[in-house]
Amino acid sequence: MTPVDRVLALLFVADAPAPAQTMALALQLTEGQVEQALEILEAQLHERGPIQLVKLAGGWQLSTKKAYAVDIAAFLKPQASKLSRSLMEVLAVIAYRQPITTGELEVIRGVSCDYGVRALLERRLIEEKGKRQTPGRPILYGTTDEFLHQFKMKDLGDLPPVSEGLPALPEPTDAAAR
Amino acid sequence: MAPRSETLESLDRPSHSVTALGVVAPPPIHISTPVFDGSLAMLFSCVRDHRVDLLDIPLAPVCEAYFHYLLNLPDADFDEAAAALAALAYLLERKAWLLLPQEEPEPDMYEDSYEPEPSSIGDFAMAMEVLTAWQEERSEWFFRSPDAGPGTYELPYQLANVSALDLSRAFQRVLDRALPQEMPLLSKPRRSLNEEMQVVLDRLSGEWQSLTCVFGDSATRTDCVYWFLALLELVRQGDAEVKLLDEEPVFARNQAPKAKVVFD
Repeated sequence: MTPVDRVLALLFVADAPAPAQTMALALQLTEGQVEQALEILEAQLHERGPIQLVKLAGGWQLSTKKAYAVDIAAFLKPQASKLSRSLMEVLAVIAYRQPITTGELEVIRGVSCDYGVRALLERRLIEEKGKRQTPGRPILYGTTDEFLHQFKMKDLGDLPPVSEGLPALPEPTDAAAR
Repeated sequence: MAPRSETLESLDRPSHSVTALGVVAPPPIHISTPVFDGSLAMLFSCVRDHRVDLLDIPLAPVCEAYFHYLLNLPDADFDEAAAALAALAYLLERKAWLLLPQEEPEPDMYEDSYEPEPSSIGDFAMAMEVLTAWQEERSEWFFRSPDAGPGTYELPYQLANVSALDLSRAFQRVLDRALPQEMPLLSKPRRSLNEEMQVVLDRLSGEWQSLTCVFGDSATRTDCVYWFLALLELVRQGDAEVKLLDEEPVFARNQAPKAKVVFD
């Protein structure tokens, strides 16, 4: 058994992105060895076969290649999960301004965001990140790993650039949240 | 700190004076700490008026001084003692409340003067387009579902040529062989005095023996009570005899036949 095969075995049974550190612990290998095995595996899968190795939401996961999407969709008949424009607006503001309260969201959007926040919570794309220490202690919201997964991002650093004038994404901090 | 109760002489003062605690003043138990030095009544008054921080004053020695006052002054006035007890109770309650964790006060103003940066939703237009495109691309990848695979009860199983009827018959045979379950008694079994009399009578012989010998070493307290009553009844009925031997009652079985009582 080579490290590549052992890593492939773990990835085959994993139903969520598996961090290299977690796999290294399970396989009694160093993180470097696992990273090296992942690189080799990624190249091997890229060359042939319907499976690819992708890095998503802080971990590695096997997925089918884009070329097979039509066949698989016909087989699985997945439900459409595309977000409406209003939901995408709410999600984008939360992603760039997190942690953020509903009130602050509404200041930016100019309309009520209650429905959008509730819908995104149900889809597990956002979650509560604490409460702002201001009168009323409003709930702070931020994005989840599911958000990264759904938008094929490794982490929040992969967020696309926004127009000039918008402040840069703040460093994640727990100072405001409790 | 050195709390102490005053001597009896110091208690010679006008009683039933009107104080902060009411008509009767508490006894002059003296309290001395770095932050307070004075009587119990004065401490009560200062704490009530928020002139002393009660957290700085240990109350255990004050309570000890109170007990000392109670124990060493047998002629103490009950009204004074009650007044002191009321003052101590007040202080203990106030201190207990002070020691409870304080609820975090609701912030009445922004702690870090946070205000959202002015921006409009238009600033996010480009990012939204990219995110939408990424979501579409991602929707063409398929992953192993978290709930993929059959559930535990959907897994196929093999019973070879064993049918459900075979299993049922085998189970019935086991049930037929099983021992009946012992039903626990709901209450203590009632012991009959007649039965206990027979037990004691069997233990008695023609020779005189003490009560200890009759009952033996393995008798429980309940046995002893039953057997003693049974022995008394045997003596009363004439089946057993009793006499004192070296100031120790000894018992023996009555060998002589009992006289029959005949009613005409």
